[in-house]
Amino acid sequence: MAKSARQAQIEKAALYPLDWTEERTGLVGYTKWFLFRHVPRDVNWMQTLGAATLTAFLVQAITGVFLAMYYKPDPNSAYESIQNISNEVTLGWLVRGMHKWGASLFIILMFLHMARTFLFGAYKYPRELNWVIGVLLLVAGMAEGFTGYLLPWDQTAYWATVVGININATAPFAGPFIAQFLQGGAQIGPDTLAKFYSLHMLVIPGGIMAMIGLHMYLVLRLGVTSPPWSKTAAGRPRPDAEPTGDRTGLTREPSSEETS
Amino acid sequence: MASKRQQEYRAQHKRYKEDVAKEGKPFFPYAIYHDTIMSLVVVVVIIGLAVIWKYTADGTEAGMLGPLYEAKADPGTTNFVPRPDWFFYFLFYLLRIFKWPETVVLGTVGIPTLLLVLLMTLPFYDRRPERAVLRRPVAFVAAILVVISMGVLTWKGATAKESLGSETLSLVPGWAEQEGFAGNPVAVEGAGLFAESGCLNCHVYLGAGAQNLGAPDLSAEGAKGRGIEWQVAHLKNPSSKTPGSQMPSFASLGEENLIKIATFLEASKGPVK
Repeated sequence: MAKSARQAQIEKAALYPLDWTEERTGLVGYTKWFLFRHVPRDVNWMQTLGAATLTAFLVQAITGVFLAMYYKPDPNSAYESIQNISNEVTLGWLVRGMHKWGASLFIILMFLHMARTFLFGAYKYPRELNWVIGVLLLVAGMAEGFTGYLLPWDQTAYWATVVGININATAPFAGPFIAQFLQGGAQIGPDTLAKFYSLHMLVIPGGIMAMIGLHMYLVLRLGVTSPPWSKTAAGRPRPDAEPTGDRTGLTREPSSEETS
Repeated sequence: MASKRQQEYRAQHKRYKEDVAKEGKPFFPYAIYHDTIMSLVVVVVIIGLAVIWKYTADGTEAGMLGPLYEAKADPGTTNFVPRPDWFFYFLFYLLRIFKWPETVVLGTVGIPTLLLVLLMTLPFYDRRPERAVLRRPVAFVAAILVVISMGVLTWKGATAKESLGSETLSLVPGWAEQEGFAGNPVAVEGAGLFAESGCLNCHVYLGAGAQNLGAPDLSAEGAKGRGIEWQVAHLKNPSSKTPGSQMPSFASLGEENLIKIATFLEASKGPVK
């Protein structure tokens, strides 16, 4: 008896911080709801691609923060700072390598995640807007690829960007203005590099994070779909001629007359 | 008034919610378990690629996954063939299909924008509730065609012979041997200039290079007996020797370098057996 009272006391003490937080924020309840909400029982391995894409993005965000501590966005020192990160900084090569290859993986995973959504027909009602956000995320991800490619300031970076900006310039109406804005001068130089750096680490990632937030909010609100080939898919049509109690009685009547 | 289709959609989503509530499984620990495994795989693959990249490459020396960095950017070079990152290869190759001035805007902006708009608005024109892919034949065939064409364009972009000057430079010793001018140092030097100056962006030499704008294969140019003087004059002003030629002037390379390239071209009499 005394032991259980003591146990209850410990339990209460342990849970006190949670209760305190819950009372003031409601976040404990939300977390519980998030963790224990039901998903269709037949979800497929392919439906982990969204989480995988998110992970790739987080890798980019974290390694990007560390790269920004050592990278210098100026034509006179950018190339040397990349060499420094690759050769001198402790584990700098790993962080840069993860950022470079993580970018490719992020793009691949976005495409695979999109292919899964297409295959499942999961972009249909009520998830239309989440498909649109997903396509915008894909575009933003490729814009990250384009702006990040210039930053090492080597020959490939420089000349690929020359062509990229020229491609922008061929667009009708807005094209020349976009190209002039990106380049920021008579030729690709310090202004271009600073602009690309700002877009690459502030503007586009900010947009991506906001869109990921919205994307995931809609996933939680609307739920994930069952694979369309599943026999037990959530939302499957109900067997329409299921006899109810009343009907059973009605259909049985003639047979009972026969026997009597 | 909701249309019949809207009512059908709403009923379906209502059934979906009922089924998930009744028969579904909690996200934790079931779904999150698979998500975690997949996320770990992603991180391990990224680290693996970073390690392979670092340990097989050395600075500008390419390893299995390319060099850590190329030479520093030099706005003064004119012979560097730009390469985008791989996921832009399809665009890069599309540009080579539409390379004439009147249609280039189709390749750069027209087709990509159209495809992007079609992709983004997919849920608004594909409105049937059917989700099984085999009962969506139009969507299925369209998707397969898009995947195949993106794949082919990416592959063509990746294997385009329009290679970097530094890459083609490594071909020179092989050329000298095959064409039998290894004993002629001026021709070998000329071959190096030829490789570096972007000639292979249009011409083909012993299978390397891109056939663009109707430029001829130069593997046996020396067999035509045009002479070094003709070659130099042609390099300075191509259309003076071959009217209507699209080739730009290479006079900026300087007389001395042009003579070297001409010597190389005249020494190229076709592969010796």
